Amino acid sequence: MNQATPNSPIVPPQAVNQKRRSILATDRRAGYGLAAPGIIVIALVTIFPILYSVWMSFNNINLTENGFQMTLNNFHNYSIIFHSSVFWNSAWFTFYYSVVTVAAELLLGLAIAIAIQGVKYLKNISVVIMLIPWALITTVSAEMWSYIYNGVYGVLNYLLQLAHIIHSPIAILSSTGPAVIAMMVADIWKTTPFVVIILVAGLQMIPNELYEAAYIDGAGGWKAFWHVTLPLLRGSLALAGLFRILQAFGVFDLPFVLTNGGPGNSTQSLAILGYRVMFNNTDFGAGSGIAVVSVVIVLIVSLIFLSAFRSIVTDGEGE
Amino acid sequence: MVQSRARKVFGLVVLIFFLVIILLPFYWMVVTSFKPDLSLGAYPPSLFPHHFTLQHYHDAFVNDNFGIYIRNSVVVACTTTVIVLAFASMAGFAIARLPIRGKVTMLISLLIISMFPAISVVSPLYMLLRQVGWLNSYQALIIPYTAFNLPFAIWIMRNYFLQIPKALYEAAKIDGASVFQTYARIFVPLTTPGMFTAAVFTFVAAWTEFFMALTFNSSDSMRTIPVGIALFSGQFSVPYGTIFAGSVVAILPIVILTIVFRKWIVSGLTQGAVKG
Repeated sequence: MNQATPNSPIVPPQAVNQKRRSILATDRRAGYGLAAPGIIVIALVTIFPILYSVWMSFNNINLTENGFQMTLNNFHNYSIIFHSSVFWNSAWFTFYYSVVTVAAELLLGLAIAIAIQGVKYLKNISVVIMLIPWALITTVSAEMWSYIYNGVYGVLNYLLQLAHIIHSPIAILSSTGPAVIAMMVADIWKTTPFVVIILVAGLQMIPNELYEAAYIDGAGGWKAFWHVTLPLLRGSLALAGLFRILQAFGVFDLPFVLTNGGPGNSTQSLAILGYRVMFNNTDFGAGSGIAVVSVVIVLIVSLIFLSAFRSIVTDGEGE
Repeated sequence: MVQSRARKVFGLVVLIFFLVIILLPFYWMVVTSFKPDLSLGAYPPSLFPHHFTLQHYHDAFVNDNFGIYIRNSVVVACTTTVIVLAFASMAGFAIARLPIRGKVTMLISLLIISMFPAISVVSPLYMLLRQVGWLNSYQALIIPYTAFNLPFAIWIMRNYFLQIPKALYEAAKIDGASVFQTYARIFVPLTTPGMFTAAVFTFVAAWTEFFMALTFNSSDSMRTIPVGIALFSGQFSVPYGTIFAGSVVAILPIVILTIVFRKWIVSGLTQGAVKG
């Protein structure tokens, strides 16, 4: 493109190579310099604390006046954690809460995205309305739902009564089954629109010709969905699903405000349990242990996913 | 797709129904924030307000500390956003356009880090902040928010830098521009859309974060808005009127951002679908 390309006959090739190498070295140094501030902050504030919390989880930790004291107690914290039924209840709740809400969000999101695909009206306003729950402060939505679910004067009880589903108001948030369902509904309400936006964008990328070809081959409706839509949407679905699963796995704000982990411990997620062990029992050793267990699960899930979808990550790094 | 008329009508009906379901809880919150105290606990509740009052807004911002919570959130979220943008743009440029080693490892690590739940760093950071006396300070939130939002922002910026032709970089070099000049004069102006996306995502994340804000800044004068709302309680019953008045004001900035930057948000969401 320019006179100074290596093919230029005026400059001898060795000199060009040398020059090139020195430019490369300068560029590389500049690259490290530019990347350093961000990478250092990330390393110091995320990677280092995570490693340090692994170390903390093998210690007994006492808070002192203006610091703390650590004494190594090996696997004692983990032994307490894994022998505690409270931990296993939390782990089970976190697991089925994540699986059920994310499955519901993906299925509902897919159904809605396919139904509204091709609707030409209300485009701008519907994008805004669907984005607002995504950007909403979770504690705000939790307060909102707790007022709706209130067992004495909640509007949901009133509507259910109007519809003759129940006879008198029920204490939604203080009975186990309804409390769990209520929390899931609040979560599904907040995140399904996000899934819909991603899937609508994914659907738009599927070329029309594929449907036309499928139609000519005699595949309409369901068949086209199974053989064209679903395979081509797999990437967006998997990505949305992974991030939702990991996010649901760290669920904290919603139970903190809505049920405070109750009734009993029935909505106590791992994050809520970890928080309580650390800040209510001031047991930072065991609390770190619970944090480490969460990190290990997150790592396993994301590594499995990343090895399956490596192309998404390395896309554009082929040069 | 070839769609029949009935199919299109059905789609429109589903869309409207979906939008209404999304909006109903908001409607209820906004209406409640304007109702007089006495009718908040009324059963059956009145679905449409009969008397309007601004009492709860007066309570929230004059008698209670919602003004302070919002000020804290503004300071924390704006500072975080500025720092994240500066660092992410530089790092994104380096990863996209400069010959540094270990790019793929870096990108994968960034992706994994951005998925860690807050609880994974809370205990060591709390200990550290306590030791240096930074609990209940702005930097107690600005620093971890910067670190947690950088990975996604770097990804976004890197994707935008990749879209700018490499030839532009080489041309600038041949004209004698230094790496930093090329970056600052040519690449930064061309990636403003990426900046918008990264800025909105960072601001929203910092505005809504709860776990670290709760554990690091729990004293009343340093609470951010999510913590202020969650810990706000009355003497005898939950003061929903005041909470909702504060909430309506607290989500206004986010609604405005969403309306103005919807295009960039959608592009960020679909560009890897990171974060929910």
